[in-house]
Amino acid sequence: MKNKTLAAGLLIIAILSMMAIFAPLISPTDPSLMDQNNLLAPPSYTHLLGTDSMGRDLASRMIYGARISLSIGVIAMGIATIIGLILGSAAGFYGGVIDTLIMRFTDIMLCFPTFFLILTVAATLESSIFNIMAIIGLTGWMGQARLIRGEILSLKEREFIQASRAIGCSDFRIIFRHLIPNAIGPVLVNATLGIAGAILLESGLSFLGLGVQPPTPSWGNILIESKSTLGVAWWITIFPGLAILITILGFNFISEGLKKRYA
Amino acid sequence: MPELLKVKNLRVEFNLNNDIFTAVKDVSLEIAEKETVVLAGESGSGKSITALSLTKILPKNARIVSGEVFFRGQDLIKIDQRMLVKIRGKEIAYIFQEPTSYLNPVYTIGDQIMEAIMLHQEKSRFEARAETLNLLSQVKIADPERVILDYPHQLSGGMNQRAFIAMCLACSPKILIADEPTTSLDVTIESAVLELLKGLQQKFGFSLLFITHNLSIAKKIADKICIMYQGKVVEAGNAGDIFDRPKHPHTKELISAYQQIGKL
Repeated sequence: MKNKTLAAGLLIIAILSMMAIFAPLISPTDPSLMDQNNLLAPPSYTHLLGTDSMGRDLASRMIYGARISLSIGVIAMGIATIIGLILGSAAGFYGGVIDTLIMRFTDIMLCFPTFFLILTVAATLESSIFNIMAIIGLTGWMGQARLIRGEILSLKEREFIQASRAIGCSDFRIIFRHLIPNAIGPVLVNATLGIAGAILLESGLSFLGLGVQPPTPSWGNILIESKSTLGVAWWITIFPGLAILITILGFNFISEGLKKRYA
Repeated sequence: MPELLKVKNLRVEFNLNNDIFTAVKDVSLEIAEKETVVLAGESGSGKSITALSLTKILPKNARIVSGEVFFRGQDLIKIDQRMLVKIRGKEIAYIFQEPTSYLNPVYTIGDQIMEAIMLHQEKSRFEARAETLNLLSQVKIADPERVILDYPHQLSGGMNQRAFIAMCLACSPKILIADEPTTSLDVTIESAVLELLKGLQQKFGFSLLFITHNLSIAKKIADKICIMYQGKVVEAGNAGDIFDRPKHPHTKELISAYQQIGKL
């Protein structure tokens, strides 16, 4: 494969996804099993990445945490991309009043400091995994909408769009079958970047105690639990941090690779 | 012969940054069944805009101010958008100038022709595929089985134009509007495409509205000719009459232009 960045990114994400999917098969122990003889044990042969203050195996918790963190990233960005696609393509295709309304609404949403908006919503709603996905998705579509609108604006003047109108395609069909497939390249690039952002957001939320609630492990809430024992158990902070870093690096590599390919 | 399409006093305006430019000024024309009408004139004389107005696929800043387009007893200017979508492609189809840019780059030739078929006819993908292969051989493409899997950028302009014509024939339209279909092709391909169109016209029995600036093409195919100049039809009549006894000075100019090229 010529595109080494894309290959590296895909490899990293594939390995992480495999870990997440086959978590019960590969994790050394149950993530909530407490080993009372090994509280805050450093990395060793029995506990590869050590244990936390309740004696739970960190490696197992991180493998299960990958499920939560990755699925939040992918689904939140999926929601954001779908909203962005619909609003952006409607604005770009119809123009005029519709465009003005949608884009001004987008500008208003962009003006909110998103993280604080999410904090407020997360504090008022019950913080289940699905709520967190929805909140991150519903506040993260603006970039996608703008990007798609721009693509559609230039694409809709292209000749093949006039041809699709001439063979009798409805507006709906022109947008979804002819415009969006041509605009999808840069949108995908942006989406992979967005996945990385969503994982970070979830970690941030969990770190502040508003994200995924314990005992369900996510990388973010493993990090927060490590806060109080940072002085004695460095591994609980370092490994989840590294996992987040590597995942985001992986998604950024994919995005960079896709950009080379499509844009 | 009974007339199929009748355009009366069509007037189209463009809004160019609040300047109104009238591109088509009270154009009237008639097309009878199985007839070939050539709309000829220099660039910017309003011939393409006239053609696009017939099913209202004009650019956003253009507006039909007045006029009637009668097709099968209905005025296409007035009818509902939903009805119009059913007429486009099914009854009135278009071929354009640059075939390669008028085909969608992300779909194969086969997908695009199948789309045109399935838009207007109740057919399964399997039937549509068979029909596509048939259409591609009708437009004299040698190996349709391979071409339906090709993307537009993999084919030459001439091949793409044939594929595009196949797409237009998908629903056997009553009227085929060809907007300078050979201008971007080289001369040998040009005459092949013209012959193909003539042959298909006899087989499928559609009326042809052919737009060109090249009167030597007009002479080969036209039954009737309308000469347009600055948005107006300045002269119209049977092809023979126009060539033998041109009345309007612009017609004379156009005729002498191609005769001079012939002498070179």
